[in-house]
Amino acid sequence: MDEQEGKMLTLVARKACFGLPTACPSCLPVYVFLKFTGIPFLFNYNLAYPDSVQIPYVETGECYVAYNNENGGVIDTLKQDGIADLDSGLDAIPEWISMKAMITSWLADAVMYELWMGSDGTSARKIYYSDLPWPISKFLYYKQVTIAKQLLGITKENADQREKEIYRKATKAYEALSARLGEDLYFFESRPTSLDALLLGHVLFTLHALPETSDLRSKLLSHTNLVKSADCFMSNYVNTSNSTSGLQSGDPLSSGSEFQSYQSTSKFGGGSSNWRSNPRSKPKREKTEEEKTFRRRAKYFLVTQLAAVLIFLSLIGGSENVDMELDNDDDGSIYG
Amino acid sequence: MSRSGEDPDHNQTPTSDDIVDDGDDYEEEEEEVSEESELREQKARMEHLFHRISNDTVPLRVHDVLIKGNIKTKEALIEAEIQSLREASSVQELLKAASIANARLQRLDIFESVNITLDSGPAELPGTTNVIVEVVEYKNPLSGDIGVFSRPEARTWSLEGALKLKNLFGYGDLWDGSLVYGWEQMSEVSAGVYLPRFRGFPTPVTIRASLSSQDWLKFSSFKEKLAGVSLGLLSTKNHDLAYNLSWRTLTDPSQRASRPVRRQLGHNLNSALKYTYKIDKRNSPLRPTKGYAFVSTTQIGGLSPDSRCLRFLRQELDLRCAFPLGFYNAALNFGVGVGVLFPWGSGFRSKPSSLLDRFYLGGNFSPVCTLGGPTSVLGFKTRGLGPTELRRKVNDDSESSDSHPGTDFLGGDLAVTAFADLSFDLPLRVLREAGIHGHIFASAGSLNKLSENEYRNLSYQKFRESLRSSIGCGVIIPTKLFRMEVNYCHIVSQQATDQGKTGVQFSFSPPST
Repeated sequence: MDEQEGKMLTLVARKACFGLPTACPSCLPVYVFLKFTGIPFLFNYNLAYPDSVQIPYVETGECYVAYNNENGGVIDTLKQDGIADLDSGLDAIPEWISMKAMITSWLADAVMYELWMGSDGTSARKIYYSDLPWPISKFLYYKQVTIAKQLLGITKENADQREKEIYRKATKAYEALSARLGEDLYFFESRPTSLDALLLGHVLFTLHALPETSDLRSKLLSHTNLVKSADCFMSNYVNTSNSTSGLQSGDPLSSGSEFQSYQSTSKFGGGSSNWRSNPRSKPKREKTEEEKTFRRRAKYFLVTQLAAVLIFLSLIGGSENVDMELDNDDDGSIYG
Repeated sequence: MSRSGEDPDHNQTPTSDDIVDDGDDYEEEEEEVSEESELREQKARMEHLFHRISNDTVPLRVHDVLIKGNIKTKEALIEAEIQSLREASSVQELLKAASIANARLQRLDIFESVNITLDSGPAELPGTTNVIVEVVEYKNPLSGDIGVFSRPEARTWSLEGALKLKNLFGYGDLWDGSLVYGWEQMSEVSAGVYLPRFRGFPTPVTIRASLSSQDWLKFSSFKEKLAGVSLGLLSTKNHDLAYNLSWRTLTDPSQRASRPVRRQLGHNLNSALKYTYKIDKRNSPLRPTKGYAFVSTTQIGGLSPDSRCLRFLRQELDLRCAFPLGFYNAALNFGVGVGVLFPWGSGFRSKPSSLLDRFYLGGNFSPVCTLGGPTSVLGFKTRGLGPTELRRKVNDDSESSDSHPGTDFLGGDLAVTAFADLSFDLPLRVLREAGIHGHIFASAGSLNKLSENEYRNLSYQKFRESLRSSIGCGVIIPTKLFRMEVNYCHIVSQQATDQGKTGVQFSFSPPST
């Protein structure tokens, strides 16, 4: 395995689940990019470091590594080092830059919100924490939720407002990208580029890894051409198992993670007929108010109970001391 | 003792004047004589008693034990330490039990002074005694400590500052909080409690919570952070059993780690039981000239219902002997240390062992003084020998394209060290009196990987080829503050990636272990 790893390109990514070869939203674009390039690569899963900023990374040869947090990301590093480049100058076009900005900021923020705050957290737990022991996974999950809130600038006061803003921007991004894509499969020159990889990574994650109740997912489903391009990718690159362009060398199975090959039954023209969406109902906002009152009352109740227990203990402790002193005096009188 | 016989001079008839003068003198003399005779009688009685005590068993029963002076301390704690007093049935036994009880109470470290006196028992019960135990508690339970210590686990020096609270709840509990800064970029904050009697436990129980971080970037391209709780369950002279639950994180902020280290970056939970058996019959831990010592440490990790905890088995053995040679206070010391680490659980043969639990050999620690598993081969730097892997190459403008990326020392799963040391006094009397002595030594070590199916490739031939060795001589200078060794080491065999250096080396260790 080590010898193979030394010779071939290896993508180190997070867990495979939800029918995807890797379910992490930052690893999927790199995976799609490598698939588009046709370079054979091996998978290696890191299941113990969910809060790493270095993952995903690509290794090749003895000493070469392209990390996620250097030089603009893995894809840009591979381009700069001449290992893989799909863009051939297209990335300087203003339109390219603005679309990339939309995907990497508005859509990325929407995914971050949906993963850590918008849903009940089952997707996040499964992708990042299912292979860590319980105490660690609990702590890291809550730590990550706090970090995500800080990054998105969400506080108790502006939570609703920020949520609306994030969804609004995501909707605009979907509309713009869908309009630009039209009936084509790819954005530029009918061939895949790293921009397609970025968008497909996002779309695949939103469709497969987010729950059916997700608002973001239901917004995406209304853009059938985006869904179609994702389905197309799955059938051409992922579900053709053991295709020459991407060897997965049994890694998903040997690492013990699940990889159920997903067979999309939707036709290219059928669009979203097989994608179900079950968005949450709106009374959630009122419930939040009730919840807040309930929490406040529960806090007061607990504080009162604690104070009562402490007073009781100190009184009991005081009467015990009195008894002890009396006993000591008695002893003194007999033996003094 | 009574007087036998009379002096003939006393039979003379006295004159009247003599009678008048002699009467007063005679009375004074009588008083003196009676005092003297009383003293002599008492002395005779005491001598008779001591004679009886030293030769015969003098029966004496303890009627009651009285404890005085304990304001905060619970009586049950003191009673438990002086239990043997009640069972004494003779004077000899009582005196022995009293000195043992005194030592035990002093050892609790919660009393300023301890006094045990024997008083006579009630008049109606002859042959009994009342024992009075007087203790003086510390007025100020808070004390502080700062010093430089050696840490056997990390095998390095450290500067430690600690605050101690003694007997906070009256159960002999000793609380302490400490801050440690170690030589090899290690820092730790910890707090612990020592309970001499906890429920039904036969030996003291210690609980310690700690947060520590250690920087191994220079040697192995990773940093280690640890947050854990350890519970000392059994601690006697020879046996030690402890449970450890810790959350460990490996990170690589330098982003230059080699592949095997990259694969292990992340979090893991270690739930392990550690048992140590130690027997040390050497006449000195720093300069043994006679005796033997044996230490065995067994660690089982993964003791938890959660199968995602780290699972491993680690065993260390260390055997030492010292033989005196009879001239110049010379002695021959031999030692062998072996350590094995292996993961367990499904697919254990192909799993890698955890980087943090592996054995690392190297460092300037005198093998004679460090007891406890394979640690060092003199002449090799810290973590300076064993399996290595190339680090990641980073294309900086300042570095040439041919520059070596450096190597990570990965440690090993099978470690073996051996040494032979001949120590002797130096000819000059001045040096002898200062404790300065010389030594000639030879040491060897080997570190191999067993996990990830590598055990199949380990043959006797390969093991022999992996042996590194060094010889040398030096002078040891013990001072009040530290013990310094100045050695000249010559590396006899090493591998291309090792960091062994022939030359003069200095090493420092604490003045006493």
